[in-house]
Amino acid sequence: MSRILVAEDDPHILRLIAMWLKRNGHDVVEARNGNGARDLVVAETFDVLVTDINMPGLDGIQLIEAVVSTGHIHRGIVVLTNRWDHGEIRERLSQWDVRVIPKPFSPSRLSEVVDKLTAVDTSEAPHEGFVPDQSSLS
Amino acid sequence: MDQTQTTITDAPRAVSRLRGVLWDGVLPEGLGLCFVAIILGGFAGAYVAGSYAAQRAVQRETQVIASQLATRVAGTLANLSDAETPDVERHLSLVGGVPNLRDVRWLAADGMLRGAWSPANGAASTTPATHKLCRATAPVQAPDGTALGEVRLALVARPSNALHASLLWNWGMTAGVTLLLFIALYHRLRKHLRPMSAIDRNLRTLATDAEHELNTLMLSASLGQVATGWNTLVEQLNDLRRQIERTEHTIASSDVLARFEGAVFRRVVDRLPFGVMCIDDEARVSYVNDAATALMRKQRDTLLHSSVEDALDEPAVTQALLGVRARGGGGMIVDQTQGEREHETTLRYRVLPLAEQPGSHMALITLEDIGVLRESQRARDNFLYHVTHELRTPLTNIHAYAETLTKPDFDDEQTRKECYNVIVSETRRLSRLVEDILSISQLEVGSARLDAGQVDVQRLLRQTVQDNLGAADEKRIDLTLSLPPKLPKMSGDKQRLAVLFNNLIGNALKYTPQNGEVHVGVTIEDSSLQISVADTGIGIAPEDQEHIFEKFYRASNDAVQMVTGTGLGLALAREVARLHGGDIRLESELGEGSTFTIDLPLPNTELVEGTGQ
Repeated sequence: MSRILVAEDDPHILRLIAMWLKRNGHDVVEARNGNGARDLVVAETFDVLVTDINMPGLDGIQLIEAVVSTGHIHRGIVVLTNRWDHGEIRERLSQWDVRVIPKPFSPSRLSEVVDKLTAVDTSEAPHEGFVPDQSSLS
Repeated sequence: MDQTQTTITDAPRAVSRLRGVLWDGVLPEGLGLCFVAIILGGFAGAYVAGSYAAQRAVQRETQVIASQLATRVAGTLANLSDAETPDVERHLSLVGGVPNLRDVRWLAADGMLRGAWSPANGAASTTPATHKLCRATAPVQAPDGTALGEVRLALVARPSNALHASLLWNWGMTAGVTLLLFIALYHRLRKHLRPMSAIDRNLRTLATDAEHELNTLMLSASLGQVATGWNTLVEQLNDLRRQIERTEHTIASSDVLARFEGAVFRRVVDRLPFGVMCIDDEARVSYVNDAATALMRKQRDTLLHSSVEDALDEPAVTQALLGVRARGGGGMIVDQTQGEREHETTLRYRVLPLAEQPGSHMALITLEDIGVLRESQRARDNFLYHVTHELRTPLTNIHAYAETLTKPDFDDEQTRKECYNVIVSETRRLSRLVEDILSISQLEVGSARLDAGQVDVQRLLRQTVQDNLGAADEKRIDLTLSLPPKLPKMSGDKQRLAVLFNNLIGNALKYTPQNGEVHVGVTIEDSSLQISVADTGIGIAPEDQEHIFEKFYRASNDAVQMVTGTGLGLALAREVARLHGGDIRLESELGEGSTFTIDLPLPNTELVEGTGQ
């Protein structure tokens, strides 16, 4: 069972993501904003962080900046954003090994990405850099 | 040419003719008379001189004859003996037959007159006084050498009549022939001289004519071909003069028109709202209008006649100018940004060649401040960016929940119900968002129409408050409404006013923490209806207050960001208020709450009984 932290300010999306990931057998922890998610990462460890970008308080980018140095995210980070076409956001995301899924997104696609991340052995953790999810983009 | 206007002046009056003869000496008649007088005078003088010369010749000849005669008479008398002395007179008379002999005398050595002879008194008296006497003296000497006195005689030097006649005839004939030749020549020249004279006279008249009427130069046709030719020339000259006058008039008119148009165009260009600068062939500024000096923040005197490099101080524009010069044809556009942030200005230079041939520096440069345009583009881009972002949020929910419905794993009743609810609510949200965007766009561009009617404000407010009671109860917020006893109906768009009230009350509830208060109050002041929505919410920071009514603007503090919102509600509310001739005021203090007050103009209408809540 993998521990997944989901940071999303939209309660409907948060609920949906949690529902899908739990169905696949993950342990899902929900955070309604960036500050809450950061506090959780600092205190605990997770396999995957699924985060929105546009959130009150700490936004998604700031959250990633805060958590990558902790080493508490073991398998990878998935970014959900409806601002994937924003050049500055793309540029800033490109500095980390994150998967980007543009909104509107397919929850099944998100589940696949999370499953893939959690299925990979930690010794073979990929460093693919910024990889927009092409299937979702289409 | 109009003959009736022609002034023929080739028959001058006697006075002017005389003056012409005596003073000017150019009239042909005068000239002819002068020549006749000269010829006659010349011949008369020649005759006198000839007569004088002839007389002198006769005198010299008579003197010689007198000397010879005296010698001969002296010889004759010397041979006489004393006895013959009494016959002296007889001897002397022998010479009396000599023509023109006036007097012969023999004077003895002692001076005594021994004999004398003279023609008869009648002959002496017929001798003209003008005839000179030629006197001669010869000594009388006896054969033995004895001086017997001397002979004195006098001969009249009288020219012969034949000489006179010959002289007179010759000179007379010569003078006559010369005169005849002159008269013939003069008669011949007169035909040519009279037009010349008339031309001269008319030219003099023209010179003194104040109006310089060329018709003054016209000659009478009786003066012959020269006059006809001259008149043709004058007519042509007159035509040319009229043509020149017409051309001058046309040119003057054109010049006036050109000056007028030039002045008008100059004023137009001077007052154009964008900058205009002309560059001459030497790459210097030849013209710059007010807008250009204002945009470049330079004095006109500084710019005029300065080189392009000095005037523009912008290498990119100078390069564009060189490019246009080399290439010819179309122009180039250069945008130059100065300053930063709120002081940032962007000038757009358009460099257009004025010369048709490449290689000339002549160019027109226009300057525009495209800061406003850029700001407008930026606002539009920002608007689109926000719109797409806001649209994606409900779309994401609808998309994700719809997909969930299709999965057999989520086929339980509760999940399906939850999915349907989310899809429906997000669809409503999407619809409301689209409506808001459409409304605010219409209101901003002025294409929105008010569905005006009589609006019962108290009923509308009561209904709006009623609609929001559910949301207020969720957060245990005390939502109250107080209405004056009587409230007039107002003219307005009921639906849009409902949006206005709902947005303000909804906003107050969203940004007021649990257990807070939201109060809606209505007052009437000076024919205006004031509806206030006061809350005990998070308040609005002073730096946010001036932007709070802008589209998609949301305060950056966490308390605001925690609440979902599009940033369109207040913008839409203000547009609706303004569309009704009113406005919205804001009083707020961070952490203390906010009061939005709607001012709506109120016409004199009936008052409706109202009850407070």
